[in-house]
Amino acid sequence: MSEKPLPEITPLNKPFWDAAARHELLVQRCKRCGRFVWYPRGSCPYCGSRDLEWVKPRETGTIYAVTVVRVVVGNSPAWEKEMPYAVAIVDMDDGFRIYGRVLGTKPEEVRPGMRVRVDFEDISTGVAVPVFRPLP
Amino acid sequence: MDVAIVGLGETPYSRARADKGEIVMSAEQYAAWATSLALEEAGLSLRDMDGQGLAVAGTEWPHSEIWSAEVVQNLGFRPKLLLRGDFGGNNAVELAVQAAAAIRSGLVDYVLVLGADSPMTPFGTQTARSWRYDIDYMRPFGLMGFVTLAGLMMNRHMSAYGTKVEHFGKIAVTQREHARLNPGAYVKAPLTMEDYLKSRVLSDPLRLLDSVMFVNGGIAFLMTGREKASRASKQPVYLRGYGLAHNYVEGDPAMPDVTTTGVKAAARDALQMAGATPADLDFLQLYDDFTGAVLMQIEDIGFCAKGDGGKFLDRTDISYKGELPVNTGGGLLSNGQPGMAAGLVHVAEAVRQLRGEASGRQVSGAKLGLVSGLGGLAYGNNLANSGALVLGVM
Repeated sequence: MSEKPLPEITPLNKPFWDAAARHELLVQRCKRCGRFVWYPRGSCPYCGSRDLEWVKPRETGTIYAVTVVRVVVGNSPAWEKEMPYAVAIVDMDDGFRIYGRVLGTKPEEVRPGMRVRVDFEDISTGVAVPVFRPLP
Repeated sequence: MDVAIVGLGETPYSRARADKGEIVMSAEQYAAWATSLALEEAGLSLRDMDGQGLAVAGTEWPHSEIWSAEVVQNLGFRPKLLLRGDFGGNNAVELAVQAAAAIRSGLVDYVLVLGADSPMTPFGTQTARSWRYDIDYMRPFGLMGFVTLAGLMMNRHMSAYGTKVEHFGKIAVTQREHARLNPGAYVKAPLTMEDYLKSRVLSDPLRLLDSVMFVNGGIAFLMTGREKASRASKQPVYLRGYGLAHNYVEGDPAMPDVTTTGVKAAARDALQMAGATPADLDFLQLYDDFTGAVLMQIEDIGFCAKGDGGKFLDRTDISYKGELPVNTGGGLLSNGQPGMAAGLVHVAEAVRQLRGEASGRQVSGAKLGLVSGLGGLAYGNNLANSGALVLGVM
């Protein structure tokens, strides 16, 4: 039985993964320019500052684009039993963009413009990833 | 100093199916084959390349970080300048630009640009490494790399602009017609719009026939300055202009428009350097890892406004006989993608068109064409590496 692929925990991304395991979203924010930074970086990609802090952003966003994943390519066969599922580009209300699965509705019904909220799903013991659920 | 392509070598392509009588070779053999074809065409010997340049594209399954040193030993080259491409689908454009800069600076007289890969017969254990953002924030999140991102870009184009799947289908069908006229293309089966619409959906709206498939193969082209060009070739193909863009963003850098490629900037710079406009181009060889990339680039180069690509395709014949010939050899979609050497396929087709050697699919009176490159999946954006070459003959 194949497992879902696990991230490689590094000194850089450990705060994100520790929080995710508790089902909390933590992302970086630049202390100089104030912009939220996703995915985790060594410096702010907008102003270059290395002064980044980990913060809890607003957990809501809007779907920018969506696709329904129907085959495994370059990933673990463990995903097969959940297919088809929707993966979206979500533009978060705090001004950062993140990919994630959209659960809690039929994948074909997910549309750009749909409002969503972050949730978490355990993919292994002690490892959880953000997913999205439509807001009512 | 003007720089020209004066020698071209392109091997046959293969899926390495021994049971079907196909060629089964490793990347090293394809590198040797393409190199000898290109040097032979230019009338140069291996020793003529001593003290010159070699610019080599990486491979799909690199087995060592220090790798180009192995390639030069395999080939017996003693280059002064050694360049290695890690730009994916932009390898050909990027290495051609680096080669031209080296020739113009006087560092070397010749640079051989080489791409050879055998993704169907990989070397040893396949340990497919990727970018940290793919390993950490894409694969565990349920994304299937290129297939998912291509689906997302095409979905955005459809939802924002009303583009239809038939628009993507027209690209696949036209390129297949070209492949059927190109003796060197791998995929020759006829393809109708009906076949396209029936093909398996991988990641909505991306279908199997929107996507490339791997082949083994090698391509090499030799570049030199004007002075040596006329001696090495009856018909030098000149580099009239070029442009490169990395980590290009359209709009808000945190939430960019994923339907715009960096080819917008690269083609603008390349055309400006060439003193040309899009209307002056006799053909386009556009990097086509998926059909949507072709449609987006037609917009980005300036043939129509962003979002109007579908309508543009409704009224425009993009075959070799049409108003805007695109991917006249079949492109990667029908030629097959020789791994990390893929971008060189487009340079090879441009050179043949400009020399008037594209029999059966020759663009009448072709004097100026554009080749693009796109490589590396960016996070939350289009592709990361973009480039354009304007090539021409007088």
